[in-house]
Amino acid sequence: MNAKGMFVDTSICTGCKACQVACKEWNGLSGEPSHFAKKAGYPYRVANNFSGRSYDNTQNLSATDWRHVRFIEQFNADRSEARWLFASDSCKHCNNAGCLNACPVQAIVRTDLGNVFVKQEVCIGCKYCIPACPYGVISFDQRTGTVHKCTLCNDRIHNGLGTACAKACPTGSIAFGDVPDLKMRADARLVQLKKLGYEKANIYGYDEAGGLNVFYLFLDKPEVYGQPEKPVVPQDRLHISSGVTVAAAIAVAVGAAIAFRERGEKKDKP
Amino acid sequence: MMALESQAPHWEWYYIALYFFIGGVSAGAYFIGSLIELLGYEKHREVSKAAYRIAFPLICITPVLLIADLGRPERFWHLFFSNGPGSIYTNHTSPLSVGTWALLVYSGMSFLSFLNVQVEDGRLALPALKKVHEMFSRLPHKVYAAIGSFFGFFVAGYTGVLLNTTARPLWAGTDPWIGALFIVSAASTGAAAIALVMARRQALAPDTARSLQTFEQPVMIAELAIIVVMLAVAGRYAVPLLTGLSGVLFLGGAVLLGLLVPLGRQFMARAGTAERDGGVIITSAFILAGSAFLRIALVQAGQS
Ligand code: SF4
Repeated sequence: MNAKGMFVDTSICTGCKACQVACKEWNGLSGEPSHFAKKAGYPYRVANNFSGRSYDNTQNLSATDWRHVRFIEQFNADRSEARWLFASDSCKHCNNAGCLNACPVQAIVRTDLGNVFVKQEVCIGCKYCIPACPYGVISFDQRTGTVHKCTLCNDRIHNGLGTACAKACPTGSIAFGDVPDLKMRADARLVQLKKLGYEKANIYGYDEAGGLNVFYLFLDKPEVYGQPEKPVVPQDRLHISSGVTVAAAIAVAVGAAIAFRERGEKKDKP
Repeated sequence: MMALESQAPHWEWYYIALYFFIGGVSAGAYFIGSLIELLGYEKHREVSKAAYRIAFPLICITPVLLIADLGRPERFWHLFFSNGPGSIYTNHTSPLSVGTWALLVYSGMSFLSFLNVQVEDGRLALPALKKVHEMFSRLPHKVYAAIGSFFGFFVAGYTGVLLNTTARPLWAGTDPWIGALFIVSAASTGAAAIALVMARRQALAPDTARSLQTFEQPVMIAELAIIVVMLAVAGRYAVPLLTGLSGVLFLGGAVLLGLLVPLGRQFMARAGTAERDGGVIITSAFILAGSAFLRIALVQAGQS
């Protein structure tokens, strides 16, 4: 079966955050606890996530925010000129997924549709997948003691539906489908944009981390959108660091053999 | 290029860094002791015995620390038997998974070696433990010393590989050196712990003290060298390790107190003889504290 994925065409995103709302709705996600705080005079916690520097109020992905429309708000010094870029971000469902490679208990699995899924009943909350994700996606929730992230709407896609975010997107910026189909669509759109003069337009996710099932069309360099130019899947380096460590161990063993031999055996045995 | 936005796992230093430290001392002591046993250096049998007496009790503490840091401590057994596929499970691309198995095997071997020492000293009273000892004594002691020694190195080093195998700028930037750093630091702390225990019981023969120092010194110099290489490789990603509280712990605690001061003390005392008991105890305490600071600094700076 073809892997399912999403193509996020950021050139037509309007930053409406309908996808974020749809994701919360469908997946039954609560408000992000860190966005609320106690305030004098209020019996309940009130929102405190307004930075005063950005119109973006969720600011990053978390265990309860599986989708995040990133606002790239660029102004010149006197704020007479501005450029706003939007990109709806989520788990990329990498084909070489750092989180999955790191999981010691097989709580993170890949389903037959290619999406990377966290089994809540298996996760032990060791948190090792968190620094292993090159995109900083997967997050820990104190309340469940486990990690959470976008599932690519695992329940929906295994029942013939698309993802909730794609369904809700009013501009078609998020498209759900078979990855090869989406790629054709992305290639065509890239050609179109280049013709229109968007020189820097590029597709992000064909080669990164073994290929991303959720990939992007950006109008500027990936860094501008907060994505690493060349994400390194940590486990790709495992052989080298293991090798160096083994070499150190051998050196120490030889050192011990020499140090304790010196005055120990030489004199006694002919 | 490093990840722009990798997230910190929020491991608590008093669980994870402390585990790295205690596990390192135990494993370091054990591999020194078992190597001496394997090579048949009978003259240093007391070193082996001291090592085994240290290794097992220390490693008993570590599962408590590891399990306490889990979000779901009651599920720790999934590490060995996954309720996902419903079978025994290892993930060979995960240092955490392989390391946990290594820790299990190592604990078993260090337990057997510990029993041996107790029997040798005629201190094993519990009948049940006597039975266990008899059962395993059918195998030559060197067999589990060999297995334990291998997994001891593993336990000492995998924690460094585990940190390197992430996308956190400091830990990824210092790749592939933390594993090697933890190996040499486990070696010096293992030797220091042995020296400390023997000196406290006034059982440290001058010959033995000299051998332990002969081993420690090049290892500590190697540790300094690895630190320099690691910082050079990391470049600007090393900044969190050199600034703030982590910087104080790393430069002041690990490098100065943990390496330069002990090396200095040993060289001063060297003129002729090794340090006397009191001196050994102080030097060893510096080495041990320095290695604890090293791990706390690396774990914390990588998460800031
Ligand atoms: S983006 Fe991160 S969380 Fe998603 S599959 Fe890749 S490594 Fe895992």
